[in-house]
Amino acid sequence: MGQTNKLEIRVSPSPHVSKALSTRSVMIDVLIGLAPALAAAVYYFRVHAVTLVAVCVASCAAAEWVCNRIRRRANTLGDFSAVVTGVILAFSLPPALPWWAAMVGGCVAIGIGKMVFGGLGSNVFNPAMVGRTFMAASLGTLMTTWTVPATVDPVMPKVAPQRLDARTQATPLAWSKTAIKNELGATTYNRQIFGSTVTGEVGGCLGETSAVALALGGLYLLIRRTINWRIPAGVLGAAFVFAAAAFVLDGDVVSEPSRQWLASETYVQPLFHLTSGAMLLCAFFIATDPVTMPLTGRGMWIFAVGVGILTMLIRVVGEYPEGVMYAILLMNGATPLIDRFCKVIPVGGKPGGKG
Amino acid sequence: MAILSGNRTFSGGAHPPGQKGRSCEISIQPGPPAKEVAVLLCQHIGVICEPVVKKGDAIAAGQKVGDSQAFVSAPVHSPVAGKVKEVALRSHPVLGRAMAVVIVADPPDERPAAVDAGRFADFDTEKYEQAAILDASREAGLVGMGGAGFPTRVKLDPKGTPKETLIVNACECEPYITCDYRLMLEWTDQVLAGVRLAKKASGCKRVIIGIEDNKPRAIEVMRDVCRAGADGIEVMPLQTKYPQGGERQLIRAVLGKSVPTGGIPPMIGVVVINVATAAALADAVVFRRPLTHRVVTVTGGGIDRPGNYYVPLGITAGELIEFCGGLNSQARKVVMGGPMMGLAIADMKTPLTKTSGAITVLTQQEIGSAKFAQRQTACIRCGRCLEVCPERLNPTRIAHAVKNNLLDVAQDYYMSACIECGCCSYVCPANIELTGYIKTGKIFVARQKKRMPE
Repeated sequence: MGQTNKLEIRVSPSPHVSKALSTRSVMIDVLIGLAPALAAAVYYFRVHAVTLVAVCVASCAAAEWVCNRIRRRANTLGDFSAVVTGVILAFSLPPALPWWAAMVGGCVAIGIGKMVFGGLGSNVFNPAMVGRTFMAASLGTLMTTWTVPATVDPVMPKVAPQRLDARTQATPLAWSKTAIKNELGATTYNRQIFGSTVTGEVGGCLGETSAVALALGGLYLLIRRTINWRIPAGVLGAAFVFAAAAFVLDGDVVSEPSRQWLASETYVQPLFHLTSGAMLLCAFFIATDPVTMPLTGRGMWIFAVGVGILTMLIRVVGEYPEGVMYAILLMNGATPLIDRFCKVIPVGGKPGGKG
Repeated sequence: MAILSGNRTFSGGAHPPGQKGRSCEISIQPGPPAKEVAVLLCQHIGVICEPVVKKGDAIAAGQKVGDSQAFVSAPVHSPVAGKVKEVALRSHPVLGRAMAVVIVADPPDERPAAVDAGRFADFDTEKYEQAAILDASREAGLVGMGGAGFPTRVKLDPKGTPKETLIVNACECEPYITCDYRLMLEWTDQVLAGVRLAKKASGCKRVIIGIEDNKPRAIEVMRDVCRAGADGIEVMPLQTKYPQGGERQLIRAVLGKSVPTGGIPPMIGVVVINVATAAALADAVVFRRPLTHRVVTVTGGGIDRPGNYYVPLGITAGELIEFCGGLNSQARKVVMGGPMMGLAIADMKTPLTKTSGAITVLTQQEIGSAKFAQRQTACIRCGRCLEVCPERLNPTRIAHAVKNNLLDVAQDYYMSACIECGCCSYVCPANIELTGYIKTGKIFVARQKKRMPE
């Protein structure tokens, strides 16, 4: 046993092995999932995208580091969660936003959205959405000025049928609202712009425009099981059903000699709601933030469907063109309640109850 | 692959690497001779035995050294002839320190004889009465050898709810361990004899042997002998998934039925016994041999000569490890049992008990760097622990309630239903010792109810 004594033998509770998985590896997975959308953002918005993402990530990281120093806690930058928050925040901002505004947003997101609650895992609200809400409330028109993608020819913009400012443009969602109000008709608008929302060649927040890129990243996270499938299924399903119901109930059948189709003067086509705005970003990357969503399967369904319906209510009935931000924050607030309400029952039923 | 096999299983669970390759092809060898044994008086669930011998007594091999009058208990026996040196405290893998009868072998024990595989070839169940089987299971001190150590006599008791189905637990889902696998391959007749005796004793009509599908040879061998016997013993391959060999998960997989939370299998007419217990039952009934030896797998990256050994119970973990070449320089953790549910020991003089199916010596690489450093980070509420929990509990909620000393909340989330399989801790990306907290919480509750000493 002489040799044994020299060894460092440890004891700890079982199990004594663990899966090669860490908070950092989960966060890196999310960053990989965000990569296609980042590529699309850089392609369409060029230097704006690079600046905005860099500033947001840097300010989020700095805020986390400073808060940890103030609280005399260990540095937690290594888990990369601040980087994820920074990227998502940047993705939800208008491309031409000045760098100082993004910096303020990043500091608020991490400082107020996360660290005051006690850091990663303790925050009630999605930090990126907290930062964005703060900016939307305080920066006014800066937050609603949309740059045309660099790939769009400013002289002959194919995305808009009217003459427009060479630099900026309304988002498809905002435009659809105005169009409906001005009785231009939602139908004409739909067909022109739907294709652009799929590729991302439209105005909008930095990382939300390209549906293809977002779906690709989301698919990766689903395959890796980094995100729970119930969230995107619930969000997109509920939003689609809501939009489809509005469209079908309001719609009229248009007959032409060759074909017939359904058209609505008040509502855009349901698929358009899924590909435009922050819907996909929300379904795959924002609503799936594990910290601020319920733990149980039933709870996740309630949360996801809630996010989908609230988003659509704000988009279709409310004044704002986009509702993802408020829908997420509202459902985040409801999450502790949902968790309490949707307790899981053990396999063998409640103790003392019938099997 | 296992998922596509169509074999049955339960919901939840994890897939820790099997790691059985080290020892699964090594046949059962006689273990080290016993110079001195410490027979712990508590090797089972239930009332702890009182010593029935005293210091200086001469003991015969197989003599009873501890017993209890209680129904839920099992006597303990000496594996060697010799003299009682003392009745004193020894390290216990669960209790810390516990009383043990220490016996010095005299004459010096020889290495336990390799078991003659042919001795159960002409076994006939008809020769044994139901009452005789039950008595023998009690007298031999049989307990569930899969890990929990529930007294077999109590489990087989035919009174109460009629028993319909006997399930033989041959899953061996715990990584690294191969002792049950070797038993099935090498002592096939003995295992089968034990299964038939258990069937007769319990009054069950149906017998199903559940084996994980990562052991095709065991499935084949058991199928062959069962077909030859033609008395309706069925072999059922099950998906390879941890904890497939958990009693409640096994029943769920085999019968599709759930044992009520807080209940026991007899409530739904099921008895589950482990293959090692079945083999011991055959020995106890046919040859009147008490449970004093068992097959122990010694394995893990910290051991240079892994294998499966038939060892006298009461020798220390250190003796058996030395017999296998000692710990190598990579050894970092010595675990009694497998890596998922086994207990890490600090004292190499901890005696082996009836439930010690393995000694697993892990290296830092096998443990994983974060686990080795015991680096726990904040829960990110990812819900992976809920997904893998085979009992469908909320491990993170329970563990954090215990951490914050909210025992009522922990109980409200069905803490007592936890089977301590370790799946939640295994998958946790934050590396939180969820199972450890839950175990601690259970001990706190037991202390509050004065069921356990401080």
